[in-house]
Amino acid sequence: MSSDLSALLSATFYEKGDNHRIELIHQRDRAAHRRLESLDLALYDPEGKGLREVPIDTRQEILDLGALVGTVTDASPRVMVLLDARYDARIFPYRPHHYGFLHRRGSTAAALYYAANAVLGGVPDRIGATGLNNFETYIFLRRPLAERYSVLLGNPARFSTAEAQVTSYYATERVAQPVALPPKAHVEVPLAGEHAGERLQRVEIKALFRLASYVVGRRADSGDLVLFDHLFSYHR
Amino acid sequence: MTPDAASEPLPSFLLCYCTNLTLDELRDACTHGAWPPPGKERTGKLCTGCLGDLLYCLRRFGADASSP
Repeated sequence: MSSDLSALLSATFYEKGDNHRIELIHQRDRAAHRRLESLDLALYDPEGKGLREVPIDTRQEILDLGALVGTVTDASPRVMVLLDARYDARIFPYRPHHYGFLHRRGSTAAALYYAANAVLGGVPDRIGATGLNNFETYIFLRRPLAERYSVLLGNPARFSTAEAQVTSYYATERVAQPVALPPKAHVEVPLAGEHAGERLQRVEIKALFRLASYVVGRRADSGDLVLFDHLFSYHR
Repeated sequence: MTPDAASEPLPSFLLCYCTNLTLDELRDACTHGAWPPPGKERTGKLCTGCLGDLLYCLRRFGADASSP
């Protein structure tokens, strides 16, 4: 494989019972189907144990994560899915994204669509990023909360434990939760909807390096997913 | 870095997805006292996702990990 290919590692989380499909990035025009050069998928349990690695045929447009995870006999209720892609920057001049479709089987909640979290790669020198501190934030709706919120965090590193701080912001108070994740481990960090009588307004993740992260909302009564989205990242 | 740590094999893989730095390239650069190699100066500083592994490997290979 050519060494001048660009690389991108994306991450998502599959939970048992979900109909969860990933649309592989692809471009089409009249002349050609333009695809990734390669894509390898890997599954990890919450402790970071590798469950399965699968080379994906990039001619495939839709991946059924349930079918892939279903082949793992001892899969945990939640697994981290890493999508390791190589692509030609002449075909994808901007960082390609995979897109997700997510719906709990039997749920009356609407299906969710999201852009898979790009964790490693795809930030060229021209961006001029200079800061090393990594912040991500998400602002919640102001209406009364009928959902339970949380943050899903995963560490894509091979060797290093990731330390992060998840801070929930209320009108005048904030609550910080430290998280330490060994390589490939992942965790769901619950966020209290209220604290000292004040409603949850915002969550912020601070880490030395970028992690796989999603903000999640579940209906308080049924647990059905109503939110699965990336946070907004910026460098200082 | 101790000689034992230097000789302990690590599998080769792509370490930095932004600069295309492989673990072998990092190891070679550290072995020859030439870290960072030309064109790889921004390793760990762009998407930042590899920074933890980069610092770990720099320490393992005996480079100055205070300013990757």
